[in-house]
Order: sequence, then C-alpha cells, then structure tokens
Amino acid sequence: MDKFALLQFYGLLKREVLEHRNLFIGAPAVVAFLILVAATWVATQIDQSQLAEGLRYVSVLFDGLSPFDMAPFFMLLGIPFILTLYICSVIYLINTLFQDRKEMSILFWQSMPVSNFQTVLSKIVAIVVVAPIFYVLIIFAMYLIAMVWLTILGISNDIDLVGIGWMFLAAIASLVLIYISAIVASLWLLPSMGWLLLFSAFAKKTPLLWAGGVFILVGFLEDFIFGTQYLANWVASRASDPNQYLIFEFQNIFERIFNYDTLFGIVVGAILIAGAVFMRRFTD
Amino acid sequence: MSNIVEAKSLRKNYGNFMALDGVDLTIPRGAISGLIGPNGAGKTTTLKALTGLCDVEGELSVAGRDPRISRHKLMEDVCFIADVGILPKWLKVSQVIDYVEAVHPRFDRKKAEKFLSTTDIPANKRIKELSKGMVTQLHLALVMAIEVQLLVLDEPTLGLDIIYRKEFYDRLLNDFYDGNRTIIISTHQIEEIETLLSHLVFINKGKIVLDSLMSDLPDIYTEVLVDVDKLAQADALKPIHVRELLGKKSYTFESVPREQLQVLGELHTPSVADLFVAKLKEEKHG
Repeated sequence: MDKFALLQFYGLLKREVLEHRNLFIGAPAVVAFLILVAATWVATQIDQSQLAEGLRYVSVLFDGLSPFDMAPFFMLLGIPFILTLYICSVIYLINTLFQDRKEMSILFWQSMPVSNFQTVLSKIVAIVVVAPIFYVLIIFAMYLIAMVWLTILGISNDIDLVGIGWMFLAAIASLVLIYISAIVASLWLLPSMGWLLLFSAFAKKTPLLWAGGVFILVGFLEDFIFGTQYLANWVASRASDPNQYLIFEFQNIFERIFNYDTLFGIVVGAILIAGAVFMRRFTD
Repeated sequence: MSNIVEAKSLRKNYGNFMALDGVDLTIPRGAISGLIGPNGAGKTTTLKALTGLCDVEGELSVAGRDPRISRHKLMEDVCFIADVGILPKWLKVSQVIDYVEAVHPRFDRKKAEKFLSTTDIPANKRIKELSKGMVTQLHLALVMAIEVQLLVLDEPTLGLDIIYRKEFYDRLLNDFYDGNRTIIISTHQIEEIETLLSHLVFINKGKIVLDSLMSDLPDIYTEVLVDVDKLAQADALKPIHVRELLGKKSYTFESVPREQLQVLGELHTPSVADLFVAKLKEEKHG
C-alpha cells in the first residue's frame, strides 16, 4: 500500500470519528462521568476513617502483585463501557451508510476518488479498531482522576501508596485486555455487523426495522418451510456466550480467534459486508 | 477534437418510468456543454450515469473509462456538483478541506484557500450554518482546486440569488475553464449560460432531441419574422415551430437554406430558449 493510500484511509477514518463523535467519544465520556459521580456520592456516604481503612487494605492487597494477575478485577469496571460500545456500535452500523443517502451527502462522498470498498472498510475499521481506542483512553482518564483522588486520600491519612501504584498498573493492564476483548468480540459478532451494514446500505427508510424484520421473516420462513430453527439458534448461541465478550488472560486470545465458530462467523460477516459494498454502488 | 463523453443507447428505467430511452450522446473535449430539458426529462439521470452514480444499460465511456466499472478512478479526472446542497452539514469548512486534501490526489489546498479568502466563508463554521450561496461557493472552491478533465454541474445555481449566480459562472469561466477542460452544465436558467456554451444538448422524455455545437446552430436553425402576406409560403417550408410575436408570426425552421428564407421576412438565429421551446413543441406535435 503506497503512502497516499494510507493517508487516504486515515482521512476516511478521521471522517468517521468527526461524524460520529457522540458515539465514539461522547457516550463513553458520559459513562465515565456518571461512574465518577456515583463513586463520589458513595464516598460521601461512608465514614472517612472507614474509607481510609478500606484504602489501606486495598493497598496491601495489590502490593507486589503482577498487574496482569489483578487486571481482571478492573475489567469489571470496564463492563459499562463495553456495553455502551456495543449499543453505540449497533446505532453506528445501522445508520452510517443510510445517513449519507438520507441527507444526500452520498453524492459528495461518491464524487471523491474513493471506492465503495474503501468506504465500507473504513467504517468497519472505525468501529472495530478506532472506537475502542477512544473508550480505553476515556477509561484511562477516569482511572487517572480516581488515582489522584486516592493519592490525596492516602496522603491525608498517612497510608503507604506503593500498593496504590501497583493497583494503577493493574488498571492499565486491564485497559489492554478491554481493548483486545472489544476487537475479538467484534470479530465474533461480525455476522451481525455485516447484517446491520447491509440494511444500512439497502433500506430507503427505517433501516433498523428492515434489519430486524427481514431477520424475523427469514427465521419464520425457515421454521415454516423446514420445521427447523437453525438460524435463530445459531444467532442466540453466538449472542449469549459471555466468554466471547471478555478476555481475562492474554493466553486466551489465539484460541478465541482461531476456532471454527469464529472463523465461520468472519466468513459470513465478510459476505454480508461485501453485500453492503455492492448495495452502496448506486445512489438510487 | 476527441470526445470526452461517448454514450450509445443508454437506457434506464425506474419501475415503469423510462428515465433514459436510448440516449446517444457525444461531448467534445474542451467543450462547455449545456444539457437542457424540462423537469423529469432525464438530465440528472444522464449526469448520474456519466459519473457512475447510477447503473444504466448501453455503451458508455467518460474520459476513457466506463463509470460503472471504475467510478472511483474516474473521479480522479471528473468532479461533480449536484442540484442539492450535498456537502455534509455536520462538517466544518476547514474539515471538508482536510477531507478532500486527504482523499483526492489532485487537490491543491492553497488554491482552495486562496479562493475562499475572496469570499465571506469562515473556516471554523459548520456547513449547516452557511447560506445556500456560501455552500455552493465552498463546493466550487473545492472543485476549482482539483486538477480535473471534466466538471459536471447539475443545476448548480438552483435557489441562488442573481448575484451568487452571476459570480458562480464568472468564477467558472475565469478561474476554472482553460480551454482544455470540459464542463457539462444542466440548468433551467438557459439565458444565463447561453453565452458560455460551445455545445448544446436538449433532452426530453429520456431522449436526446438536439446535440449540436453552438457554432453549427446558425447553419441549421433560422427564425423568421414572417411578413403577413407570406404566411402560406412559410407554412409550405414545414417550420418546426410557429409562435405569435408582436402581432406577427415567428417561424423556426430546421435545415432550410437561409437563401430560401430571406424572401419571407427578417431572419435571426433563434436564442437557445426559443430553440428549446421549438424543439420540445416539435416533439410534442410530431
């Protein structure tokens, strides 16, 4: 890939972030703000001496432990962000190609020397790779604020802060795991992502209704004609497996990606995404 | 002169509506071509087909490429301004320049900024905050900063006041057109572009009803303000259109030698607007 092609793709990703800044940055910032507000409220309800005692206990607990061993503890704090990311991903994928046509800006985007494949690929990369970066950075900012608060509390109560330092390292390690979890989960959910993109490119109105309606119709027809519920069961089994959404150990990454179910899903997702590229070829 | 656009038997239908019904079209390189037609005639569909924005049947070549196969490559040589405000409303002016600079290999940022500096468009405003005239100016600034062979304009001045419209075409001629580039303009405001055009195409009901160089029009079409006593003589020469004018009758003839018409009355070359009406009425009445 030449230098211009890379810069061009960077330009496409930048466009996605600017257009969907509320989903990429605004939503996780709101979640972080709410968590900080809730934590502050809880702290005001607890007696200061009890709070200091709790901090002393945590500091001792984390002192000298490997950050990666303790990272899963912090991943639980990341769950609201991961859920927000999934909700925002659905909103993004179902609207992104539809919105261009709705506001007629597709004529501008299509008047540039950018292929539909590049455009759709940039949207996948934006939500799978770029969006989690912003989420992780915002969680990191939240941890920094919490660290400053804990440090002030520790100093004012004469608590040894070495353990707090280890705790912060564990929090950072959890961010790496959260980021990897988000990408691996996206690969697992690629068929759903492709399905949403396909209807975002296809529907003239209410793309979410189309995506949901056609899915229900296909499931109903399968049941009616063949008497089976293979499609519904397949989707339900993929959606309801929590192991696919959070990775607690680095050793698990390889087996989560390179297994039959995930790879089959990637192939199905790729076919649906190719369908979205085809649908976007023409504006009418 | 080679042709930048060559189209043969283009067909496109939307359900039962035939938008293009066997369009044959050639546009010479370096021309300023006007695509004129009433509402629903197929102008926008034709322009969309030329820029790869809709699928059509038939043979089509634009700047040596088939737009249906390699639209994004074609767009390195072709720019398009549509009849609706199509710049994304959520972008700031500076951001849209950043975007075009990132994705278009032939975009000259300095040129665009120089053009914009002569306007009232602020770089930090979002497009949705600009007036329609400003959005058009911004789009023109972007297009003029791109080194392309062909510029396609679909009703570019629709909804603009006379000052913006005049400025738009002045800029187009002075800052964009260099004699080698080709411009295709579709518009209803025929009088405004008549003097710019070197090539003319009329389209009606998805069919081309006229495709001619402007310089050839005086040799083909003649308007005669016929003397009252020569009406029967004029009728015999099968005019394509007759209209009342100041108590007299004005006849439009196609491919009738001027020497033959001189005896009927005062001769003119019809304006594009008059020719347009004549050709469309001819179509209507067969």
